[in-house]
Amino acid sequence: MIVLLLRRVALSVVTLFLLASFIFFATEVLPGDALDVSLSADELAMMSPEVLARRKTELGLDRPILERYLGFMGGLVTFDLGRTIITRAPVADIVAMPLRNSVALAGMTLLLALPVALAIAMAAAQAKGRALDNAVSGAAIIGYSIPEFVTGLLLIAVFAVWWPIFPATITASTDDPLSVLLAAAPLAIATTIIGSIAYLGRILRVGLIEVMAADFVERLHLSGIPRWRILWLHALPAAMIPGLSAAALYAAALVSGVVVVELVFAYPGIGAELVRAVTRREVHVVQAIALAAAVCVVLFNLLADLGIAALDPRTRR
Amino acid sequence: MPWAWMRRGVAVADPVLQVRDLSIAWREQRVVDRVSFDLASGGTLGIAGESGSGKSTLARALLGHCRAGSAITGGSIRLDGDDLAALSEPELARRRGRVMAMVPQNPLASLTFHMPVGRQLEEVLRLRAGLSSGAARRRSLELFGQMGLPEPERLARRYPHQLSGGQRQRVVLACAIACDPLLLVLDEPTTALDKTTEAQVLGLIRRLRAARQGAMVIVTHDLNVVADICDRVLVMQHGRIVEQGPVGAVFVAPRDAYTQVLLGAALRVDEASRAAPTAPGPPLLEAAGLCFRYARPSIFRRAPPGPPVLDDVGLTLAKGEVLSVIGESGSGKTTLGGIVTGLLAAESGQMAFDGVALTARRTREQRRRIQMVFQDPLSSLNPRRRVGDAVMRPLRLFHGLDARAAARRVAALFEELGLEPGLLTRFPRQLSGGQQQRVAIARAFAAEPDLLICDEITSALDASVQAQVLDHLAAMQRRQGTAMLLITHDLSVVWRMARRVVVMQGGRILESGPTEAVFHNPTSPYTAALLDAATRAARAGHTEFREAIG
Amino acid sequence: MMRALLRRPAAMLGLSLVTLHILVAIAAPWIAPFAPTSLLDVPLEPPNAIYWLGTDDLGRDAFSRLLWGGRVAMLVAFAAGVVAVLGGTLLGLAAAWRRGIFDDVVMRLVEMKLAVPTILFVAIFVTGFGQSVPVLIVAVGIIQMMGVVRTTRAAGIVLMEQGYVRAAQLNGESGPVIILRELLPNVADLMAVEFALRASSALLLVSALSFLGLGISPPTPDWGLMVEDGMALLESEPALVLAPALCIASLVLGINLAAEGLADALGLDAARGGGG
Repeated sequence: MIVLLLRRVALSVVTLFLLASFIFFATEVLPGDALDVSLSADELAMMSPEVLARRKTELGLDRPILERYLGFMGGLVTFDLGRTIITRAPVADIVAMPLRNSVALAGMTLLLALPVALAIAMAAAQAKGRALDNAVSGAAIIGYSIPEFVTGLLLIAVFAVWWPIFPATITASTDDPLSVLLAAAPLAIATTIIGSIAYLGRILRVGLIEVMAADFVERLHLSGIPRWRILWLHALPAAMIPGLSAAALYAAALVSGVVVVELVFAYPGIGAELVRAVTRREVHVVQAIALAAAVCVVLFNLLADLGIAALDPRTRR
Repeated sequence: MPWAWMRRGVAVADPVLQVRDLSIAWREQRVVDRVSFDLASGGTLGIAGESGSGKSTLARALLGHCRAGSAITGGSIRLDGDDLAALSEPELARRRGRVMAMVPQNPLASLTFHMPVGRQLEEVLRLRAGLSSGAARRRSLELFGQMGLPEPERLARRYPHQLSGGQRQRVVLACAIACDPLLLVLDEPTTALDKTTEAQVLGLIRRLRAARQGAMVIVTHDLNVVADICDRVLVMQHGRIVEQGPVGAVFVAPRDAYTQVLLGAALRVDEASRAAPTAPGPPLLEAAGLCFRYARPSIFRRAPPGPPVLDDVGLTLAKGEVLSVIGESGSGKTTLGGIVTGLLAAESGQMAFDGVALTARRTREQRRRIQMVFQDPLSSLNPRRRVGDAVMRPLRLFHGLDARAAARRVAALFEELGLEPGLLTRFPRQLSGGQQQRVAIARAFAAEPDLLICDEITSALDASVQAQVLDHLAAMQRRQGTAMLLITHDLSVVWRMARRVVVMQGGRILESGPTEAVFHNPTSPYTAALLDAATRAARAGHTEFREAIG
Repeated sequence: MMRALLRRPAAMLGLSLVTLHILVAIAAPWIAPFAPTSLLDVPLEPPNAIYWLGTDDLGRDAFSRLLWGGRVAMLVAFAAGVVAVLGGTLLGLAAAWRRGIFDDVVMRLVEMKLAVPTILFVAIFVTGFGQSVPVLIVAVGIIQMMGVVRTTRAAGIVLMEQGYVRAAQLNGESGPVIILRELLPNVADLMAVEFALRASSALLLVSALSFLGLGISPPTPDWGLMVEDGMALLESEPALVLAPALCIASLVLGINLAAEGLADALGLDAARGGGG
């Protein structure tokens, strides 16, 4: 068990190392360097070549790419994410609070979506092939065919414009306590939940249907064990495993969804920060957000792997 | 027509189970067709048939269960006074496990993988036998002990995948008899086991039968198992009963043609082998000290090398000779075949082919001269290519024939193997299993090999087709003078095809020699067990016959 | 295969939706009443007989923009789908054929991609390489490709165990022959389903990116952009937002329904294959 855990952690570290390298090279390998693209043409025209060169030296942009790569990786180890190009503010400070807010939104979504998805999947699997199951499958297809920003806007149109019971956008600010923030964002949470339920419900339904057709379920059925007991005690733990295997996919999809939803509702998370950083070419901020998201996904996946190990004794060696 | 079954002699005295005109449909298709039989209390009935005969569907119906998509369309199943075909699901659930119980086919898949086996037995005892949890625990250990499982307390805490095949079979058996049912249905109880374990499990089943009052139904494709523990037998084909009666009578004098084919495929070592003798020629293949173990070299997954799959294996094969390698799954026989063909590389040891060293890196000529036929006929042909195309490929690759010459040669090969020319342009799925396997043989012979490796080439085929394929293969081999390495678990195939045999177990060669000598006087107990298991059907016919004639 | 699809009403609905969208996108230059970028000097006109869906804040005809709005997104999504399926299938089959270290490296790449949320993945590319249609196609194509690698590699590993592939290996056939002749024809079904799933997922991604301002750039008429532009006007002119939103959803739904029907008809499992 310990060995398994250590191996998974080591593998995750390797993945993160490769990811960090990928993020660095994808954002910094092009010759048009960070300073040039961050400044507008006017600003560039106003700067004298000497000032520009000094700024570049300050930012380390005149160093060869390999040296910068090593500096970047070294910075990661000491949690130094660098400073922004224009305002010279530490990137870590800019990213920290929005990241907290986004993680809270994602966590809340998972917490609320999972039981609902599970209940729906169980009901559908029980009624496989019948009207209820078809309705659930149909709803799931519609659910993941509609982009989050469309769902969000529809919710705003219905619950904020035509029937104004919730605020359309979030008035809370970045540094408010999480309770205030989440309470101000019912529609945002509802939007991410809808996507999550469609995604999770679909995977869990397939897993459950597969398990309910397994030999051990038939044996229990033929021993006269009640159906609810087979479902809860025998089938459900087994059906969770394919769901957990898809955890990384789900986590990544959830982060993408959160980014979009944050922009729809003006939720103060990393989504807004990301769009701002990309349009202004704040390379270090984009790097930091990408890394933070990757760490979240990798951690989530690690937890899922441990969950699989707990559920499936065959994976424990 | 209630007398129809009477005429056929279905009825037995004091029946506990009476099945009448039972039909089961899967979608539009009848998979069980007007089946009628009786089973006496204390009796053991064998339901024999090949895959697809409907025997497993019938077995599940005896518990009032049909898998999704299928349903009972007519007839009755009277057990202990009730008609199971007419009972509602809750009424059936009340009886399942208590009145009738099932030992399913695949014990590993039939146990919940994430639950210790002890808890799974206790669950049945608590819910179905109504024991308290303490009593259930004590009773479960007792039952495990009765099943001949060592150290019940430790075993109860283990998960299904941690048990051996025999242990798992005993666990599902314990679960099934936990409430002492009136009718016990065993579906292929020994198929997943090796022959040594099979003998032990059959012994256990025999002891259980002696200790219990209830009746037993054993579903199997293996007539040897029927001969061993059943007193009545029922032979099924395409959902129908083609013959039924006492085991002795049916095995001595089968009346139905299909039963005769099934029994004809059984091994009879008292008859002379039909394998053609070969003149001793110069050695073609020499192997010595072959060792192999699986280990996946990888920069991310460093798996420790597994246990040896092959351990110091050596053999020689003369030109034109047929040598058979017998063994069960896990014996290393397929790995040996893989090393000879070059699919796998031996860890150590040497091989020589026609006097030249043979490694996993082959010359084009060596590849041509060593060909292979695989177990599953369907998967050995590309489903997206016409079968003629498959046979043509080696001709063009090795002999550089142009399309017209290759087509002529393919047509000739098809004719030699008794395949109609019309099949050339068909896709594999449009052919029967026997035809597919003959196409695969044609593909191998197209390269004009000196050595042909056949890995279990008949095990996926019906008994009636097996003989046909083997006859074609033998004729082809004799005409071409090709040496053959015949890998199989089926002793009757060996008896039919090979004059010399090698017996493998656990990656080692146990014994080798002329087939007749080994089969008549096996030197290892393992070979003796294999022979014993394979000849029960023939001996059952024999002893009963002798009794019958006095 | 067509007949199998015809028997599935949901799949037929999907196929019709997709066909309709493609036809409209192709015919847009001829059927749109106005040029999509011409400023008509009548901003924020409500829907009427001339401007069926009204005009936006810059005075452009919303209906004409709607007809044009799927063109670039569909181009990117289908091109990315082609890149993903061709590249992903070859890479996946090669990994299944070669195994060993090559396979490990490929799988590590796939896992890496899984750890980066798709929107961030494109954001990284856009930061490094600028915001343009070719960059979008490549970035979206690579993202979708990794999912295809996973499914085709898994299928390839199963196929590698088949007798006909073994026989080809034993005869010394080269890698390209085995991959193209023996493996590829047997994953054709899978590729068709994957293409549909990838295209739908790419379309979702592209519209989300456009909505965020990281995808297709103005003034190109695009549904995602139109939704973003119209958001502030949701109360006064809901058609400006809802019409393009509905277009995206119906196109993606159409592709998904068709993919599901196709997978069902071919006996494949769309739920397992898709989503990545």
